[in-house]
Amino acid sequence: MRKIQDKGVGGFLLDWSAVIAVILSILFFTFYTGASFLSPANLTNILRSMSITTILAVAMTVTLACDGFDMSACTLASCSGYVFMACYLWYGMSLPLSAAVCVVFTMTAYLLTLFLILVCRIPDMLATCALMFIHQGLGQWFTGGGAISAGMRLPGGAVPKRMSFETDFVAIGQAPWIILIMFACVLLAHIFLQHTKQGTFLYAIGSNKTAAALSGIPVGRYRFLAGMITAVFIAVGAMVVCSRNTAAQLCGCDNYLMPSLAAVFVGRSVGGREKPTALGTVLGAGLIVILENGLTLCAVPYYILPAVKGGVLAAALAAVYLPKRAG
Amino acid sequence: MDFPGVRALEHVDFEIRSGEIRAVVGTNGAGKSTLMKIFSGVCPDYRGEIYCNQIRCFLNTPAEADRLGIRTVHQEVDTALFPDFAVYENLMMDDIVSQSSVSLRYDRKKLMRCAADILTQLDIRLDLRVPVRTLTLAQKQLLLIAKEIHRECRLLILDEPTAALSRAETEKLFQMVRQLAEQKATAVIFISHRIAEILNICDSCTVLCNGRVTDTFPVTKDTGTKTIVEKMLGGNVSGNDRDGTWKQSRACARPPVLLEVDGLSDREQKVKQVSFYIKRGEIVGLAGLVGAGKTEICKTVFGARRRGAGTIRVDGTEVNLKNPAEAVRHGIALVPEERRREGIFAAENIAFHLSAASLGTFCRFSFVNRDKIAAHASGLIKKLGVVCRDARQPVRLLSGGNQQKVVIGKWIAAESDIYLFDEPMQGVDVGAKQELFALIRELAEKGAAVLYASCDVSELLSVTDRIYTLYDGRITAELDTQETNEKELTYYVINDITEGSDA
Repeated sequence: MRKIQDKGVGGFLLDWSAVIAVILSILFFTFYTGASFLSPANLTNILRSMSITTILAVAMTVTLACDGFDMSACTLASCSGYVFMACYLWYGMSLPLSAAVCVVFTMTAYLLTLFLILVCRIPDMLATCALMFIHQGLGQWFTGGGAISAGMRLPGGAVPKRMSFETDFVAIGQAPWIILIMFACVLLAHIFLQHTKQGTFLYAIGSNKTAAALSGIPVGRYRFLAGMITAVFIAVGAMVVCSRNTAAQLCGCDNYLMPSLAAVFVGRSVGGREKPTALGTVLGAGLIVILENGLTLCAVPYYILPAVKGGVLAAALAAVYLPKRAG
Repeated sequence: MDFPGVRALEHVDFEIRSGEIRAVVGTNGAGKSTLMKIFSGVCPDYRGEIYCNQIRCFLNTPAEADRLGIRTVHQEVDTALFPDFAVYENLMMDDIVSQSSVSLRYDRKKLMRCAADILTQLDIRLDLRVPVRTLTLAQKQLLLIAKEIHRECRLLILDEPTAALSRAETEKLFQMVRQLAEQKATAVIFISHRIAEILNICDSCTVLCNGRVTDTFPVTKDTGTKTIVEKMLGGNVSGNDRDGTWKQSRACARPPVLLEVDGLSDREQKVKQVSFYIKRGEIVGLAGLVGAGKTEICKTVFGARRRGAGTIRVDGTEVNLKNPAEAVRHGIALVPEERRREGIFAAENIAFHLSAASLGTFCRFSFVNRDKIAAHASGLIKKLGVVCRDARQPVRLLSGGNQQKVVIGKWIAAESDIYLFDEPMQGVDVGAKQELFALIRELAEKGAAVLYASCDVSELLSVTDRIYTLYDGRITAELDTQETNEKELTYYVINDITEGSDA
C-alpha cells in the first residue's frame, strides 16, 4: 500500500500527469504554430471536436464508476443514430419526437446488454465484445446496408416523408449548441456521480462489490441504473453525431470507442483518485483533441493520428495500473 | 526450528519412524500448518536441523522435499489439481512433467494404463477420462492422495484429509493409509481436529501448543478423547480474563427475544438445522473450528447466502430475507470475517464508510449533504476511538483494529440492533482488542442483540453471556458462559457428539 502523504514528487507527477500533459501540449503547440493554435476560431474548433468524444465518454464513465465496462457503447450509438435518422427522415417525425424515440430505443436495446451481464453473468468485457458485432449486424439490417441521409429512398423503395433537414436539426451539431450540450451532459453526470446517493453507491460498488453488497446496497439494481443512465448519454451522443454529419453514416459512431475509452482512463488517473469522474473525463477528451488538433496544425498527416490516440490510451492505462503493481 | 518475525514455532523436536502413523493436534494457530510447510519445503527460512535417515538435509525447496520422498496432501484440494484435465492426466502429472526423455510424444494410452494400475492397486473406482472438475470433493481428495502415494513416498503428510469425506470414504482412506504404513513402511503425519479418527488410526500423537511441542505420547486403546483434549489445552487452561463486574446486570429483567432462528439450513448443507435465539442486550457466542459453518450461519441469517429451510424471526415477526439489503432494513448488521475483501472499501475515506449503510439519512431528495456526513463522521470517530488523522483519511491506511471500528461504526450509524460478528478480532492487536470488546459490550448494554462467532475459546469466554457450540454445521451444545470453562467448551468444539446419528 502506498501512502498518500509520502508519495513523493514522482507520485505527485503521476497523479497529475494528465493535467501536466494538457498544459505542456498547449504550450508546445502555441510556440510551434504561433498564434493560430490559440485563436478563438481554433479554440471553438477544439471544443466542437471534443464534444462527441466527451458525451460518449461520459456515458462510459457512469458504467465504469460501478466497475462495469462497455465496449459496445459506440456501436450501440451507431444503431441509435440509424433509428433517430429513420424517425426524422423516413417517417417524418418532429425533432423532439425523433429524439424521444431514439432515447427509448437506446434504453430498450441496453436491456439486452444488462441481461447478458446481470442475468447470464457474463463478464462485462466479454458480453459487450459480443454485442459490438450484434449491434453492427442488426443496425445494418435495419438500414438495408447503407447510410441514411436526405433524399435517399427506404430499403423497400418507398419515398421518405421528409426530404431535407430543418435548421434546428442542423444546429444541434454546430458550434454553440454542440458545445452547450456537451457541457450539460458533463454537468449532469458530475452532479449525479458526486452529489447524489445513487452516485455514491455506484462508487461504493466500484470500490468493493462484496463489501457494498454486505453493507446492504442492492448491487444488481444499481448496476441496472448505471446501465440505463449510460444508455441515455449514448442516445444523446448518437443524435449529436447524426446532426453533425447530417446523416446516419454506416458505423458512424464506432470509431469514437477508442478516444472515449482513452478519455475515461486519462480522467481516472487525475489527482490519484483512481476512479472515473465526469470532470476527469472532460480533461481526458480535451487532451486527446488538443493533440489531434495541434498535430494537424503542425501538418502531421491525419492517418497517423490513431497512433497518437492509442498512445494516450496506453499511457493512461499505465498510470492506472502501474502504481498498483508497485504498491 | 523457529521463524524470523512472527515466531510460529519454537524449539520443536519432532521424530517419526518408518511405518508410524502420527497425529499432530493443536488448536487453531498452534503451529501445525507451519511445521508441515517446513517439511514440504515451502518455508526455507527455518532455523534448526532436520535429519532424514540420519543424514542432515536442507528442506529449502519443494523439489528437495520431493526428492526425499516427502509428499503432502493439502487441505485445499483444488489448488493442486488441474480442473480441465482428465483424471488420469492429473494422476500422472508429476510423471508427465518430470519425463526426462526429449520425445514430444504424449502417450495417452500408456499414461492411462499406468493410471488404471494405480487406482486398481489402491482400490479406488474412478472414471479415468472425465475431467477433474466434474468430481466430488471426496473423489478429488482420494485422487490427490493416490497421486502423492503412487510414487516413492517415505513421509506422507495429510492435512485434514477427512474434512470433506463421508464416513465410508473416510474408512477407505484409513485402509489405504494403514496399508501404506504396514506394507511400504511409510511414515504418515495425520493432522485432524476429529479426535475419534485419531484414536482410530494413529499410533502416536504429538501435541502442539503455541508453537511448542508440549507432549508426544503413544495412542493405545486406553487413550480416551478426554486425555487428548486435556493435553491439547495443557497448562494453558488459565482462568478466563472475564471481569466479575460485568454480568447480566442489564436494566431489563426478562428481555425480549430479538432474533430467533429456527431450523435454519442453507442450500449447500454447510448449515444444518441450526436453531438459536438472542435476547435484547445479550451477547451470544458461536464457537466452532475453522470451517465448522460460523461464517455460513452469519451470512445465511444476513441474507447473503441462499436459505434452504428454516425461519428467522426478528422481534417476533417472521422475516423472509432474500438479500443483505432486506436484512439491513430489518436492523441486522454483519461484520464479516474477511475484512479486506468483504468489509472495507480500501480506497475510500472514513466518512464514506461511516455513511455507507445509512446514506439515505444524509440526503435530501437523494442529494448528499457532505457537511452533515463529515460532522457525523467526526463525532462517531471520537466515540469509537478510531486513531486517525481525520475523517478524510482512506481506510486502507488504518490499522486492523481501527478498520474494524470503522466497520462497526457503519452499522451504529445505520442504527442496527442485531449485530453478527464473524471472527471480529482477526488481525487486531491486543490493545485494540480490549477497546473492541468494550465497544461490543456497550452495544449490548444499549439493547442490541449480538452474535459473536469465533474459533478462539478464550475470546468467547471473556465477552459472551451464552455460547452455542458448532460442529460440522450443526449446533452441538448450548452453554452458559458463567458455568462453563475452556476445557468443556473445547471438548464440544472439537468433538462430534452427534456422531453416529448422521451415518
